[in-house]
Amino acid sequence: MHLEIITPDTKIFKGEVDAVQLPGLDGSFQVLKNHAPIISALGKGTVKIDLTTSHETHENLSELVIKDSSNNKVIRVDINGGVLEMLGDKIILLAE
Amino acid sequence: MANLKEIRNRIASVGSTMQITSAMKMVSAAKLKRAQDAITQMRPYAEKLQEILGNLSGSLDLSENAYSEQREVKNVLIVGVTSNRGLCGGFNNNILKRVSYLVNQEYKDVNVKVLGLGKKIREPYKKTDHYYINDAIAPVEDIFSNLNFANSSTIATSLMECFKNKEFDKIIVVYNKFINAAVQDVRTEQLLPIESTVSETETAGDYIFEPSKEEIVSDLIPKSLKIQLYKGLLDSNASEHGARMTAMHKATDNAAEMKKNLTLGYNKARQAAITSEILEIVGGAEALNN
Repeated sequence: MHLEIITPDTKIFKGEVDAVQLPGLDGSFQVLKNHAPIISALGKGTVKIDLTTSHETHENLSELVIKDSSNNKVIRVDINGGVLEMLGDKIILLAE
Repeated sequence: MANLKEIRNRIASVGSTMQITSAMKMVSAAKLKRAQDAITQMRPYAEKLQEILGNLSGSLDLSENAYSEQREVKNVLIVGVTSNRGLCGGFNNNILKRVSYLVNQEYKDVNVKVLGLGKKIREPYKKTDHYYINDAIAPVEDIFSNLNFANSSTIATSLMECFKNKEFDKIIVVYNKFINAAVQDVRTEQLLPIESTVSETETAGDYIFEPSKEEIVSDLIPKSLKIQLYKGLLDSNASEHGARMTAMHKATDNAAEMKKNLTLGYNKARQAAITSEILEIVGGAEALNN
């Protein structure tokens, strides 16, 4: 599924991903492929992106993206809150 | 007849002014490019946020929100957005004119305060009773020396706080909207209370709302207010560089025209001097022959 993370200043991430773990207001949750349409408000926390089957290299990522030291197929982005919309295998995350 | 040395000096000084204005034009053009990129970057964000809010508000009454409460207007805050520097045509004057109209005409019967973002509006109002600043905004008052979303958010949050605790009943933003490099439009927008917008998109779809619609809305409204202010600031920033670029372009053209006229005058004066010198010599020679 396709994920886009946008902040008011820049676009942090764009690409195909396997799963995304998100800091919801009522606790963390994960969105997988073919999830039903959802709109959700997010709190302060870390977005964990799973890129296991992704073949994209993601070489020039923004400096806000942290690579996991143990697993190079997982990246993290710290956000201060945001809102998420998923529709038809496309996730747009408006982060702050 | 004009003194030749005088004209020569003027040509030199017009020439060096021209160099300065054309350099400033180049600098503004480069900065305009960056400012424009910043707006284009944030537009998808603003649009998407509006879309999601529209999706939600279809089935929800937004007037319940603390930020849309209509009160009797007794205290008004005007947020004027100008630049830190001058030499950009009517850019700052237009804002100052509009703000002073609002202060002295439209809201003359109520208590009006002015929050100035940008030196050019802060300085004239600093000495008046209308000048407004609070502790939260003070550290980021000089926003244009470091324009980013975090600083803009600080201001927006503080403004929302002021509205909520009834310090102000109405908050208005006056800024230059960026149309294109040569055209800016002075906009007066009401930031708070939120004016109820009739959303044309009532298709809420089959969305799951997590945690609940109400909570998402109360989370989104402050966000969209922050975005509204930030958009105004970015617009103003791009407009400033556009206005300066245009002003400097005109100044360079005028200087070129002036230099041309001065050079023409200089050559005429030089020719006249040579002619009269020749006449004197010829006249003297004739006198000797006789």
